[in-house]
Amino acid sequence: MILIVEDEPDIRRFLRSTFDLEGYRVVEAASGRRASIDAGTHKPDLAIVDLGLPDIDGVEVIRRIREWSPMPIIVLSARVQERAKIEALDAGADDYVTKPFGVGELLARVRAAFRHAVRTASGTSILRLGTTVVDLEKRSASRDGAEVHLTPVEFRLLIALAKHSGMVATQRQLLTEVWGPTHERDTHYLRIYMKQLRDKLEVDPVQPHHLLTETGIGYRLVLDE
Amino acid sequence: MAAVGYSESMKVNWNWIGYSSAAGATAVCTLAGLAMRSRFDLVNIAMVYLLAVVIIALRFPRGPAIAASVFSVAVFDFTFVPPRGRLTIDDVQYLLTFAIMLAVALVISRLVESIRHQASAQAALAIDAETERIRSALLASISHDLRTPLAVMAGASSSLAAGGERLGEEERRALATSVFHQAQEMSEHVAKILQMTRLEAGAITVERDWVALSEIAGAVLTRLSERLKAHRVIVELPDDLPLVRVDATLIEQALGNLLENCAKHTPAGTIVRVFARREGAEIVVTVEDYSGGLSDRDLERVFAKFQRGTVEGGGTDIGLGLAICRAIVRLHGGRAWAERVPAGGTAFRFTLPFEEPPAVPAESTVT
Repeated sequence: MILIVEDEPDIRRFLRSTFDLEGYRVVEAASGRRASIDAGTHKPDLAIVDLGLPDIDGVEVIRRIREWSPMPIIVLSARVQERAKIEALDAGADDYVTKPFGVGELLARVRAAFRHAVRTASGTSILRLGTTVVDLEKRSASRDGAEVHLTPVEFRLLIALAKHSGMVATQRQLLTEVWGPTHERDTHYLRIYMKQLRDKLEVDPVQPHHLLTETGIGYRLVLDE
Repeated sequence: MAAVGYSESMKVNWNWIGYSSAAGATAVCTLAGLAMRSRFDLVNIAMVYLLAVVIIALRFPRGPAIAASVFSVAVFDFTFVPPRGRLTIDDVQYLLTFAIMLAVALVISRLVESIRHQASAQAALAIDAETERIRSALLASISHDLRTPLAVMAGASSSLAAGGERLGEEERRALATSVFHQAQEMSEHVAKILQMTRLEAGAITVERDWVALSEIAGAVLTRLSERLKAHRVIVELPDDLPLVRVDATLIEQALGNLLENCAKHTPAGTIVRVFARREGAEIVVTVEDYSGGLSDRDLERVFAKFQRGTVEGGGTDIGLGLAICRAIVRLHGGRAWAERVPAGGTAFRFTLPFEEPPAVPAESTVT
């Protein structure tokens, strides 16, 4: 079941018909307050939250849900809400879609979120990135069958990215998870180590297929199924 | 605020120079007068002072002009008019000389002031005319670039709503897809208009952060992959290209707009080369295409708002992309321009200031 938190009736309508077609059940909430209640009573598997709600801030809705649930949360934001988007992600949202969007894009995000939940539940430690295979548990990596040496920090960064696989990890999340809270603003660390990871794991490090940049926000690790 | 403070201090400085010049000119006249004294009448010496007053009044505001006349009168009286060495006047005719000097100073100051005023009014008129030109260009642009997609969307969606079930599957899909594509295009247009407006209003804050240009280029190419699929894009970024301290989102737009421009205005199959290198205190980023190239006139014109250049295949570009690029680059203290490539083609370049990036602690490579 998917909870849709959006005050625009027309947007709720096309979201509902899209998810109906895809076989998901849908609960709609037109306000932030309603959303907090519905999230508690219906226990949805995923929430889609618009950031521009009339009563309480979308970011606040996310915080309230995160107090008790790890359900995937996808944020809908307008282009001008760049900062709110980052705030929402730091508050616990997993991904975002910028308005106006095509439903194809939103469905891809929803599927990635569910896949991630399955991955986490299965507890697998193998990451597949094209011809590159990384075993997080054994701390080994190979590309086209040949061993690739990753440093401890590169491994930690990869683990942090994998925690959000298919979804967005913000710069702050990665910096605190890998280097600790005192380094949450040292973005240059991320630039250097992301380049190192791409050089080692991607076929074309400038146009990567797995270690993607979300400009100004963070990174997205896209795994092969 | 900073700009006001700057002009205020300029004004204070300027006045100070004016008063010193008034004093200086009086001193020079006095020396000249002393040299002339044996052979010329006092009236002619007064003329020398008058010349000084005229010059000061022409160059400086009223304050220094009046000061020049007062200094001149005082020094002239003290040095040349009998009884010398005292500030008294025996001959009434010199009172007239003084009055004339003061009057000349005031009249000329007034004249100069009113000329300056007219000039600035004319400049303001020119700005008004430019604003008006932009406004009408904006309206023309909106009515063309936004009305066309709106017409398609209204038409296609109403046709779907009215008789969707009677249309064939393929036709239905084609209509719906065109609504989607037109909406996306319009969204881009609106975003650009908004962005330009915000840039011009100074409503954009630059949030600087250490950024790798290779990441920016990668993100842009991913975002524009569909639009650039008919072009052959080559990216050449040196491995040791330093990080830049910029607003990643804005620079992504700037680079994206350059590439979009290539996608729109060069034929399919065109080679587009993206490269960057450090040149002294600057990082120079270039997007180069090898197709014909722009005329001298267009090289600068393309960066103006609502200009599409005169190249063929104008497409549906709203003509803001390069203007936005330049505005963003300027916000970062850089320059953006276009030049012809000798082999035939156009290089769009922008610079970003180079700053020494902070060090990243080395990691022991032993696991």
